Amino acid sequence: MRIVHYINQFFAGIGGEEVAGAPLEERSRAVGPGRLLEQLMGEGAEVVSTLVCGDNHAVENEDEVVAAVIEKVRSAKGDLFVAGPCFEAGRYGMISGAVCAAVEAELGIPAVTGMHVENPGVDLYREALYIVDSGQNASEMKNVIEKMAALALKRLTGEPIGKPAEAGYLARGLIKDAFVEKRAGERLVDMLMAKVSGEPFETEMPASSFEATPMPAAVGDISKSKVMVITDGGLVPKGNPDGIRGMAATNWGTYSIEGRGNLESEDYEISHGGYDTRFVEEDPNRLVPLDALRELEEEGAIGELHNEFISTSGLANPLSNTRRMGKEMAEKVKAEGVDAVILTST
Amino acid sequence: MELTIARHPVADIQFGEKTRLDDTTLIINEGELRAHLLEDDRLVGADLEIVHPGEAARAGSVFDIIEPRAKAPGGSPDFPGIVGDVATAGHGTTHVLEGAAITVLNELSAEERGGRQDRILEMSGPASEHSHYATLHHLIIVSRTREELAPHVRMNAGRRASMRAAVYLARVGIGEAPTSSETFGPIGPTEPGREGLSRVAYVGQIYSRQRSPEVDEQIIYGVNTNGMMPLLLHPNEWLDGAIAPAYVLSLGGQETYFYQNHPVICDLYRRHQAHELNFVGTVATIAATDNADRDRNCHAAANFAKWGLGADAAVLTKFGGGVPHMDMAVTANILEGKGVKTAVMVSDMSGDRRVESALLFNFPDVDAVVYCGGDDTKWELPAIGRAIAGDPVTARTLAASGEVGAATIIGVTNQQGATHIQSIIY
Amino acid sequence: MVQVTSALPIAKMIGSNRTVLGHGIVHVAGDPSLLPEEEKNLRRKLVKQAMTALESEEKE
Repeated sequence: MRIVHYINQFFAGIGGEEVAGAPLEERSRAVGPGRLLEQLMGEGAEVVSTLVCGDNHAVENEDEVVAAVIEKVRSAKGDLFVAGPCFEAGRYGMISGAVCAAVEAELGIPAVTGMHVENPGVDLYREALYIVDSGQNASEMKNVIEKMAALALKRLTGEPIGKPAEAGYLARGLIKDAFVEKRAGERLVDMLMAKVSGEPFETEMPASSFEATPMPAAVGDISKSKVMVITDGGLVPKGNPDGIRGMAATNWGTYSIEGRGNLESEDYEISHGGYDTRFVEEDPNRLVPLDALRELEEEGAIGELHNEFISTSGLANPLSNTRRMGKEMAEKVKAEGVDAVILTST
Repeated sequence: MELTIARHPVADIQFGEKTRLDDTTLIINEGELRAHLLEDDRLVGADLEIVHPGEAARAGSVFDIIEPRAKAPGGSPDFPGIVGDVATAGHGTTHVLEGAAITVLNELSAEERGGRQDRILEMSGPASEHSHYATLHHLIIVSRTREELAPHVRMNAGRRASMRAAVYLARVGIGEAPTSSETFGPIGPTEPGREGLSRVAYVGQIYSRQRSPEVDEQIIYGVNTNGMMPLLLHPNEWLDGAIAPAYVLSLGGQETYFYQNHPVICDLYRRHQAHELNFVGTVATIAATDNADRDRNCHAAANFAKWGLGADAAVLTKFGGGVPHMDMAVTANILEGKGVKTAVMVSDMSGDRRVESALLFNFPDVDAVVYCGGDDTKWELPAIGRAIAGDPVTARTLAASGEVGAATIIGVTNQQGATHIQSIIY
Repeated sequence: MVQVTSALPIAKMIGSNRTVLGHGIVHVAGDPSLLPEEEKNLRRKLVKQAMTALESEEKE
């Protein structure tokens, strides 16, 4: 088995920050942590190429370094690519993630790396790669290399990798079905009893957390502002001209309300599978409050109501979809010179 | 309150001359059963079919599956509020035809019912291996109701017919010696001899008002949950007919068979009997559609568990889609605030199978989550000779081959405990 | 932006900064139990609440 190993200047023994600008070079044998790796990978395993690069040089010339690494791995006829472990070293982690992801994608051979969970490389590459949890401490090198070798062997033989905690890698954030022996009801009571008795238990789904969104500045004076309505309740003109799906919608539509004092039920329908839509079908103003907005516009309480509303359906929608649609809508809102948005959510 | 479940195993079902149990063969007089069902004058006919485990047969779409059960005289009524009078369910002796099931199919096509495709019963092949229902002998019923009736009335007639059939058939067990029997209860918050054990309650949603129930949708003791506040229920009430499914199974609902064999309640009972814990009781609740209702229900459910049952630990399950996650989590969080430890169960709704999309809740104390799955489990079903359906369009669809997701095969996925599919994070 | 919603805990969880409580998931800006005039008044009040939130620097 032919292994290609990527390490930085420090682990190659060249030096520290003073040589972080060193360009990529190749040694045709195991160097530093690669020697242990070679031993642990067993009979017939050989580090045929060690690629060494200074961390500053690597992140400043990422595209070039990645391309060069791919060529080296190709010409070395590598069966396995390993980078690091990088522990807390941020630049080392980022380039290791980049080269591993590129090698897997371009050459179709397995790649394994190792990092501390707070290494910035983890955020960027945890979904794409198997990143062994290295912890912070480089004195744990032996232990970490053992985990990386075990994971690499599983990947080479096609053996099931196992769960993150068991196999020692950082959760990739991917969800997969598995048939398990214990029924869900029994697991529920098991978990409760462990929690009650103070024993360790592993939740099957950690709590979600979301980054705080900065508070946007207030609208100075709404009677001088242009206001627009957006809804995720799935209100669309009859016939659903944009084909917005009632579940996990991937698109949104813009619909004119020019000249309308309110929304008539015969003109609209709802594409949303998550709530009882009869009340809004009966009177769409219950979702997009146009009648009230028009009155307030006429009275001068609102400067101007933008002459269209945006609609999509917010049900069981992956974040990747909603994030993209949110950005697209924000661009549209900006382009129309809208000052304030009222979003109605079901 | 004590409930004795008297089990009569059934290893075959046949049509025959006299409705009876011949050893382990359930014999059904088809004409008499049909006449019994047609006593409800909303019905003009009833299609009756039998399917067996392993048979190349498929049926759909399933409206409900019921275990044939009948109450011996002197106990609580059969399915109170639907078949019998309204009185507390869950005491006396219930005769069960174990191994048999009544499966009632939707009479109307998905289009006529409002465009929802419900689940199918698959009796053979790889997909069937993961459904308990494929191990049962089924009497399949399609009730034929008067066409001028509103769709919800026709569904109500189907519900009542299927439950009446379940009772009618299981009455063959009354007076016969059961092969085994099991007694549930007495349990409750004041049961003596349980000092030092964790006092565990179950808090379960029985409906989500994301969909307004029909006026005749008989979900609990014959009524539709309008105006419902959380209720303190003895666990036997769940097992013995107090709760029935919604008309729409596809929105994360359960079958009657599920309630009759409720996995969480049965597991708590088992551990109660093993003196691992003290099962003090249950609270039935609903998922609300507005904040005032949610707050009120969540606080009331938590208060029942804490002050009514004296629980110091609770397991919670949800009904329906995404919003009920929140009702359940808020209830669990209130309980944690009162010193009641919790574990909750949800199903994966991420869509793209990525953790970042699996929006749940973020209460630090609600940290014990069982995660059910099924979204990326699929089977290629073969074309099949025997496809049983309520209408010809569905029958043609069922007969053809095609890929189906796990949630389509009834008995495979479930978000209240009756599934072996776990969504695992990698 | 102000979000008018009846699933307030969800809106807050995902970091929505300006929120106004709606009148139910199935009719966030209405109430079919009211007479039409009353319902419209209710809606006006809701929209005005949303406008106040937009003009405010307070997180709500």
